[in-house]
Amino acid sequence: MLRARLIYLLGRLAQMVGVLWVIVTILFLIFRLMPGNPLTAYIDPTFTAEQEEAVKRQFGLDKPLYTQYALYLKNVATGNLGRSFFQKEPVLDVLMDVFPNTLLLTVTSLVAAYAFGVVGGAFLAWRRGTKVEGAGILLALMTRAAPEFFLGMLVLSFFSFDLGWFPSSGVSDPGVIYDSIVEQLLSADFWHHLALPALTMAIYLQGLPLLLMRSNMLEVLDEDFVTMARMKGLPEWRIMLAHAARNALLPIVTALTVGIGYAVGGNVVVENVFSWPGIGRVLVRAVQAKDYPLAQGAFLLIAVVIVSMNFLADVFYSALDPRVSATKQEVG
Amino acid sequence: MSVEHDHALTHLIEQFTSGDISRRELIRRVAALGGALAFAGSVGVMAPSGASAAQQDPRRVRKLSLAVQPQANVPEEFEGIQLAAGQLKQIGLDLEIQVMPWEQMSDLVWFNRQQWDMTAWQMVGRPERLDPDEFVYNLFHSSTIEKGYNFVGYNNPEYDKLAEAQRVEMDREKRKELLYQLQEIIANDQPYIFFVYPHENFAYSSAVWDPNSIVEAKGIGIKNFWTFIRATPLGEQKDMILNTQAVVQAINPLYISGATDSWITELVWDRLMRINPEGFPEPFAAEKVEWRDDTTVLVTLRPGMTWHDGQPVTVDDVVFSFQAPAGEMSPMYKPFVAPIASVTPVGDNQVEFKLKAPFAAFETAGLAKVNLIPRHVWEPVFADLEAQGINAEEYQEETPIGSGPFKFVNWARSQEIILEANPAHFQAPKMTRWILRDMPNVSAALGGLTSGEINFLSEYTGDPELLKQTVDTTQGLTMVSTIVVGFRFLAPNERRPPFDDAALRRAMATAIGKDQIQTNIYKSYATLADSHVSKALEFWHAPDLPDYASSNIEAARQILQEAGYSWDGEGFLLYPEGKTETLQTGGA
Repeated sequence: MLRARLIYLLGRLAQMVGVLWVIVTILFLIFRLMPGNPLTAYIDPTFTAEQEEAVKRQFGLDKPLYTQYALYLKNVATGNLGRSFFQKEPVLDVLMDVFPNTLLLTVTSLVAAYAFGVVGGAFLAWRRGTKVEGAGILLALMTRAAPEFFLGMLVLSFFSFDLGWFPSSGVSDPGVIYDSIVEQLLSADFWHHLALPALTMAIYLQGLPLLLMRSNMLEVLDEDFVTMARMKGLPEWRIMLAHAARNALLPIVTALTVGIGYAVGGNVVVENVFSWPGIGRVLVRAVQAKDYPLAQGAFLLIAVVIVSMNFLADVFYSALDPRVSATKQEVG
Repeated sequence: MSVEHDHALTHLIEQFTSGDISRRELIRRVAALGGALAFAGSVGVMAPSGASAAQQDPRRVRKLSLAVQPQANVPEEFEGIQLAAGQLKQIGLDLEIQVMPWEQMSDLVWFNRQQWDMTAWQMVGRPERLDPDEFVYNLFHSSTIEKGYNFVGYNNPEYDKLAEAQRVEMDREKRKELLYQLQEIIANDQPYIFFVYPHENFAYSSAVWDPNSIVEAKGIGIKNFWTFIRATPLGEQKDMILNTQAVVQAINPLYISGATDSWITELVWDRLMRINPEGFPEPFAAEKVEWRDDTTVLVTLRPGMTWHDGQPVTVDDVVFSFQAPAGEMSPMYKPFVAPIASVTPVGDNQVEFKLKAPFAAFETAGLAKVNLIPRHVWEPVFADLEAQGINAEEYQEETPIGSGPFKFVNWARSQEIILEANPAHFQAPKMTRWILRDMPNVSAALGGLTSGEINFLSEYTGDPELLKQTVDTTQGLTMVSTIVVGFRFLAPNERRPPFDDAALRRAMATAIGKDQIQTNIYKSYATLADSHVSKALEFWHAPDLPDYASSNIEAARQILQEAGYSWDGEGFLLYPEGKTETLQTGGA
């Protein structure tokens, strides 16, 4: 059994590497097949032909495509994502500077969204068939469907500009300097700034766990062991919490792991609305400034997070539910 | 597109220009006309109807391409081009608007100079462009046709001669006369069809900053060096908190990395001269600047200046600062020291500059441009960089050291930059700190201004009407709208007929309604452009140039007729007798 699980996970790992290789290849090709010269933003029209050649050499763009590709693969494999055209720093450094901010925003909003979603979903299942349930589902669907920038601007305009409760942008008040990330995390100022972007993302993200939890609960409530518990005369809240909810939680765990992956990529909008210095902002600006190495790096980082979170979800699932790794066919 | 479509389109444009329908409505209805106008990548404004190529008159001007960036990138430019295209059509030009991303357009225009017909373009204002020389010389001098800024391929020996003459004319009044003549030539030849000088809009909290201490600089606006050293706080808030939408890439005195970055370097590093609010250079770190003859300048250094690390500023540092960019260390500053033949110290407080040839813009584009850098900091760095085979653009000081009125404190990437006042400076700022917040969301920046999170809106790319409304309805805010040095225009490629004919270009300028572009598209937050020397530069801008303000189709057709052009049965333009079409439609 253990061996089967190991083989299954190794297979998934190999698949993950394969997927990343495809992504890396696509990223490589996209930036080279785009109309115009990738160096247009870099080469001034007054450059001489020699200067132009020198720049091309500097970026290895004078070599044939397959050589460039081989070099690129080798560099990516060794963690070298190149240097940003304009920031003149290694791409990895630029990304790592802001990655913690993205991670903090993502994790906070996901935890909030899933905590609310799970409780809310269980509650709606419990209140099945009532007006409360109907209204709840409608609200969840509406918030889920509302574009994030719209939601963000509403939140911003209400809580920041009208009520003045929260700041509108950044991770700290003007002029505040943190020496370390720990110091930043321990400051009230930081959480004050995190509140609105996290709230926006949480509102956007809560729909999935809520609806998922509700439907899981409904399924579970029909199961024999719940009927059994009812026959034993256990109080309703205990049946809900200890028996039904516990079993209904399994798929939520998977959704959460995959959710982290997607949320990292989905931060782009929220980070821009709230001027939150994260990966999404870097990505948007890199694309606007035609900073190809940086844009490529940001895309790759997001892809890596998504793919690894998918893998992690598989690991969890196989641990929680042995049937998954027992036979390959059941792996969706 | 059929004749009915043409009529419908003309009618729509008339409705729009008379103000009956909005910009958005115009675009929506045009799209509804069959979507053929502009929205799909390269779709003809008016495809020739009926006649096949075989039956066409060989004198018929081919379908001309017009490159423009997508509406999402440059809304005003895009809409201006739609309007202009409709009017050009009315003088018989067959157009194909090609919407392409900036990379592609830039590649086409700069690097494939034979291949395109027309493009929408803009020149942006920069501090060194406050002297007209850069635009006047680089844009239209024949030496920059092949490579360089003369991408339209304008070639006029008379212009060349005058452009060279203004460069070496050291008498300001005489130089002005030359510049007037140059502008008249351009107004007559119309190598660019100028649209507008856009305005830049700013706002600040006049409850925090004394309005009398905020300086509006010609062609730049209130976000300028003089405002930053003079702005006087009225109350407890002594920090100026500004916004930027652009990412700050470097704080480096040897690298011109972006407009916002330049504002920071200007504050941290001093310069021998500064451009004053009127747009002219005046001594700053130099106590005196004396011209000994046309090619010799003697600069006397202001006594008692120190670097931010406490060391004194010496003539050695000054010499070093002007020699450093001459090598390979700072390619971007190299052009600014290129006119210099030698820099030598004279005694312990003077420096003598010898120029290779007289250069009228040397004060603006040399003495007021090059940052003074401490030799003791940079000499070892250069040695290090040389060993690695890279230049100083690649290097970022941990704590930048200059001698300017502000000291560097902190830079949290993608968040904010903090500078503090340097009390030891001879023009010490009145504020305590200068804090630049990174805010990509322009609505949030505007909200931040009303809520007090920022107190100086130094960059605003949103709707100017909205800014005005906000300022009008919020107590204690002031808005300033300034004409800038840059301009927007339609550029025909003079390498390709029919654009090699000035009469045709004049007819185009006559047909296009710039006033409609200015009032309806820029909502009057722009000034009609008539020259490559902006109206912001009052001293240099030639008065009474023909501005071709309103659309006059009749007059335009008249010009064409007089130049020998005629029209075929379908109303398309025919070359004058003896000239035939030899080219294919251009574009990528």
